[in-house]
Amino acid sequence: MKFLIDDVTVYFPYDYIYPEQYEYMVELKRALDARGHCLLEMPTGTGKTVALLSLISSYALARPSPPLKLLYCTRTVHEMEKTLAELRLLHSHLPPTHRSLALGLSSRKNLCVNPIALSSASRDSVDSACRRLTASWVRAAAAEQPPGAVPTCPFFEAYDRAASSGPDAVLLPPGVYTLGDLRALGREKGWCPYFLARQMIRYANVVVYSYQYLLDPKVAGIISREMQRECVVVFDEAHNIDNVCIEALSVSVRRQTLDGATRNLHRMAQEIDRFKATDASRLRAEYNRLVEGLAQRGNLALTDAWLANPALPDDILKEAVPGNIRRAEHFLSVLRRLVQYLKGRLQTENVETERPVDFVASVSSQAGIDQKMLRFCYDRLHSLMLTLEITDTDEFLHIQTICDFATLVGTYMQGFSIIIEPFDERMPHIPDPVLQLSCHDASLAIKPVFDRFQSVIITSGTLSPIDLYPRLLNFNPVISRSFTMSLTRDCICPMVLTRGSDQLPVSTKFDMRSDPGVVRNYGRLLLEMVAAVPDGIVCFFVSYSYMDGIVNSWNEMGILQDVMQHKLVFIETQDVVETTLALDNYRRACDCGRGAVFFSVARGKVAEGIDFDRHYGRLVIMFGVPFQYTLSRILIARLEYLRNTFQIKEGDFLTFDALRQAAQCVGRVIRSKADYGMMIFADKRYSRHDKRSKLPGWILSHLRDAHLNLSTDMALHIAREFLRRMAQPYDKAGTGGRKTLLSQEDLEKMGEGVMDMF
Amino acid sequence: MKLNVDFRNIKGHKFSKDGSKQALLNLTQDSEKGGGYIFEFDNFSDRNVCRDFVGKVLGKFQAMMSSKQNEQLVPEKPAATVHGEQLSTTEMELRMKLLREDSELQKLHKQFVIGGVLTESEFWATRKSLLDDDAQRTAKQRAGFKSAMLADVRPSTDGRTNKVTFSLTPEIIHQIFAEKPAVHRAFLNFVPSKMTEKDFWTKYCRAEYLHRTKNSVAAAAEAAEDEELAVFLKHDEILANEARHKIRRVDPTLDMEADIGDDYIHLPDHGILRDGSKETADAENEFARRTLSQDLNRHAAVVLEGRALDVELGDTRTAAEALARSKQAELSTEISDEKTNQERMEKVSRMTEIEDLQAPCSLPFAPLCIKDPREYFDSQQANAFKALGDTGGGITPVDCSLKTEEAYIYLLEQISEVKVRGLNKPVVQPEAALKVLNGLNPYLSSTKYHLGKNPQECVLDRLPNRTKDELMHHWTSIQELLRHFWSSYPVTTAYLYNKVLRLKDAMAQIYHKLQEIKESVQSDFRHQVSLLVQPMLQALDAAFAHYDTEQQKRSVKSGNKPNGFVQ
Repeated sequence: MKFLIDDVTVYFPYDYIYPEQYEYMVELKRALDARGHCLLEMPTGTGKTVALLSLISSYALARPSPPLKLLYCTRTVHEMEKTLAELRLLHSHLPPTHRSLALGLSSRKNLCVNPIALSSASRDSVDSACRRLTASWVRAAAAEQPPGAVPTCPFFEAYDRAASSGPDAVLLPPGVYTLGDLRALGREKGWCPYFLARQMIRYANVVVYSYQYLLDPKVAGIISREMQRECVVVFDEAHNIDNVCIEALSVSVRRQTLDGATRNLHRMAQEIDRFKATDASRLRAEYNRLVEGLAQRGNLALTDAWLANPALPDDILKEAVPGNIRRAEHFLSVLRRLVQYLKGRLQTENVETERPVDFVASVSSQAGIDQKMLRFCYDRLHSLMLTLEITDTDEFLHIQTICDFATLVGTYMQGFSIIIEPFDERMPHIPDPVLQLSCHDASLAIKPVFDRFQSVIITSGTLSPIDLYPRLLNFNPVISRSFTMSLTRDCICPMVLTRGSDQLPVSTKFDMRSDPGVVRNYGRLLLEMVAAVPDGIVCFFVSYSYMDGIVNSWNEMGILQDVMQHKLVFIETQDVVETTLALDNYRRACDCGRGAVFFSVARGKVAEGIDFDRHYGRLVIMFGVPFQYTLSRILIARLEYLRNTFQIKEGDFLTFDALRQAAQCVGRVIRSKADYGMMIFADKRYSRHDKRSKLPGWILSHLRDAHLNLSTDMALHIAREFLRRMAQPYDKAGTGGRKTLLSQEDLEKMGEGVMDMF
Repeated sequence: MKLNVDFRNIKGHKFSKDGSKQALLNLTQDSEKGGGYIFEFDNFSDRNVCRDFVGKVLGKFQAMMSSKQNEQLVPEKPAATVHGEQLSTTEMELRMKLLREDSELQKLHKQFVIGGVLTESEFWATRKSLLDDDAQRTAKQRAGFKSAMLADVRPSTDGRTNKVTFSLTPEIIHQIFAEKPAVHRAFLNFVPSKMTEKDFWTKYCRAEYLHRTKNSVAAAAEAAEDEELAVFLKHDEILANEARHKIRRVDPTLDMEADIGDDYIHLPDHGILRDGSKETADAENEFARRTLSQDLNRHAAVVLEGRALDVELGDTRTAAEALARSKQAELSTEISDEKTNQERMEKVSRMTEIEDLQAPCSLPFAPLCIKDPREYFDSQQANAFKALGDTGGGITPVDCSLKTEEAYIYLLEQISEVKVRGLNKPVVQPEAALKVLNGLNPYLSSTKYHLGKNPQECVLDRLPNRTKDELMHHWTSIQELLRHFWSSYPVTTAYLYNKVLRLKDAMAQIYHKLQEIKESVQSDFRHQVSLLVQPMLQALDAAFAHYDTEQQKRSVKSGNKPNGFVQ
């Protein structure tokens, strides 16, 4: 359908539209008009993504100059695929003259088609295998030698030849390209899909990639450097965005890292000696370059680009590298002293928490490395590695980590702390010392994004309380709104279960969680539900260890065997491959009508981005409140920082964090208004107002008072009733004044109504 | 000790169910006198052989006895209990089952077979398809794996000694093979060349026990000593390979493995290692890595795949080999990558669409093609006028003033046309046809029964319940009888002749009953009932008429041949 919002013709790929989608688009358009940032909470199951894509694409078509680009950030690659699939649907409804180019971007591992590079397992080894074949000096060597003597990548060479005649030669025809499409295209044309995609994001109208490509300065520095200001940046499913920001600026150093770094330093010393003997001029040239203040070698070849500086672009010093680390040997000895110092610090038996200022002072006094040297560590290392023509970058990750750490600790004095722990609190018997540089301020990493781009849209199904995010991320949204859901029928049914059938309370509170009575009551709940609910059921637990424990207990008690009489059981594990296969099987079991249960973990991979819509999830059970491990030092330090700088109380933040995770878990159950699903919050603490009120409005509005304090048998009764009700036919469009599905006609009428009012 | 009992004294036999505690066969003597013989067998198969034999012999004896009795007592009632054919128990059970499931069939069976109008075999002869169908269905369906985790064998202890007992059945072993390819391969490799089957399973159970007690130190020690035992404890390589293979085919929208390659946070040491929200994995130990969750996932996956082999689960070795063969076959028939890719893409695009925002999808229709618009619209107009003219008229008969010749020529043309072009596409789209059919059906049924009144209720509903049931029952009875009656012609044997006679008598009875109903019914329903009964009576009349003419022909013939049939 096609309709007008103010002066913009919006192309929407469906014949009907939900009223909230329409409102969402109106708000979004106002934000784009104002060229400001916005924060929109919209319930899951109302077609948020398609509304976003359709409005922004239409807006870009309506205002062709300056060309507006959409940077769509997702958390995971599979979400990227989902978004691109929606985009493809939208594209088939755009007028043919306005076809645009949209593509997904990922790492070499997901895009490479070279069989040699692909045979390596991890991302880093694919990266370095690629570098071994495509680094500028490798290619230079290959050009001098007879063909075949130095292996190169045929895909990259073909792409490079094609691209050398100008960017038009490799410009992709308009369309939507998923990672799979890019790979297929690369195979067909013999071009390297990764570098093709890297090149194409400059010309593309829509780029879909993961958060890190914008938020992590190391990645953003090489990938997103050239994006113009006229970009609309969308962070979808952004309820965890503060954590991503914090992660982006945090480093942890373990004993293995330090050992590896020592090995790396050895290797580099050998390389330096070799170069001194054979090609001393290179080292001299580097020195001269550094004197002139060029840490980087100017314009690097595309293939030589490495992870960029971990500090934010505004904070990187634009001056010459200090004199005492200009010479390669001197720099190496500085690094050696630093590694030695860190090793000494790791030997502590107590937990130590330090501010960066104190840490830098201590480094300076004990290892003789001043703050400025620390700050330049990363760039100096990068330069040295290029000079030494090191291609197996995956081997040198350790020393790179050390330099990341040094640069960050030398750059930031505020909002960070250094925490040294001799062992994990939860496993005190295993010594595993770790030194962590932890960022507490989420606004640091996202600040350049807010500054650089004209509109940043942060949206999710769970952004409650919505006033907290602007504080955490330190920005002023022009629009900040939370939408409710208009339903034709009550197709979601949240319940709070506080007691088992024996009326004993259930909870995952620390003192109660291992109580066999609680474990049994949880098991009975699952068993009853498994017998009553058709198709798929998803269960979320508070942590992996808790899930393992309770599943083992259920197995011992025989509850698991009874559950298996009704449905197949699949479990999320820490191994992603296995989890992916389990999910795939789970879906097949639901498709074929066998029915299945999926056990998953809040904050886990599955909770983050897998939909359990329609028959894939008719019921979600959230066992317990997914609080963080409150004794964690890093969490304590972060809470302290939040209290001091943003005046956010610890308890409030913890509850907010737990409830957004819980809401996120249960929200995966519904995808459209034709869909239906139940949500059970199984913990007595959910019945308390301070916890419950942190749930997003669209769940709260369906949470009836009668459903606040249920026991297992009552919940079962309600579930049966609900399922029976949902099985009845209903009027999709809604009745009377409360329309829940709008057709083009309705929209036109609405438009006229607005005209009349003004 | 020997026991000699005359079969004539035995009146019946009972037996215990297969799978119950004891295999018993009870031969009962005369019911009045009581007493009998109970035999206990070692196993059920022996018992079943004897049971079948006894059943056969008893059947024969009883047939003889009853036919004798019949001759003496009720000569006009033919032997209903004569077993013309010897039925196997399964067939018998099947018939019983069908009767149990279908009350109408049971009624008919009771009326005619027990009532002596038809014999058992005659009754079932017209229902061969029912029997066949059922037989086929039972043969086709194969049982899948049990949902229960059999492979997770639990040891039992006797409490006094330190002995631990594991019990394995062929079913369990089969599941173990399917779920643990390493064990399967080890079995194929080791048994019987290296060790006996018993040793193999002992070793396996030992490994299981070590795993179960979570004694990883002991497990490691044992594994170091015994390399065969280590096979059971180690991480399953075959599974890992399979997983690697399968991961390429999963739906990209849930491929979390791709994230590992994308997130730069997954770089070692980047980001926070020990946050309050993260958990660190336990120290990795090769022998402790197999967890319950992995077993559960694997089990569910195997159950979902289904059982792939048809071999009887008796011999372990053959089962293992069959499984290996079926796996080989699976590998060779793997669909090409591109095709699966295509399917995946389609699935993803289907998944992305929000169904209730879509316009309701319309049925495919064939465009209306009017050859001569003038004629068409004229006729439309005429119809409209007619509809206005008579309000209660309903459908007016179409004027078919075609001559036979014309019709013939037209038909010929049509047929030749079809012959040339073939019926490559259906004239009417199936969906559309179904819709029309459904639309017409209520109309038809309502016009059939409604006599200008409420179209919702049919005539039968307005009759008293008893009359209605009777009518329905007679209707089905008549159908059954007529089917048998007409299928008996031409009468060639004395047997058929007798049958027809029986049938005629039965029909005559029903005829009278119908007449009675007609007369006894209340006056306000009489008209309707007589309308309903009319076709039944007509059908019966036709049958009687046929019988009479045949009878006349026969008497003429028999007049010619005085020494013909004995009637």
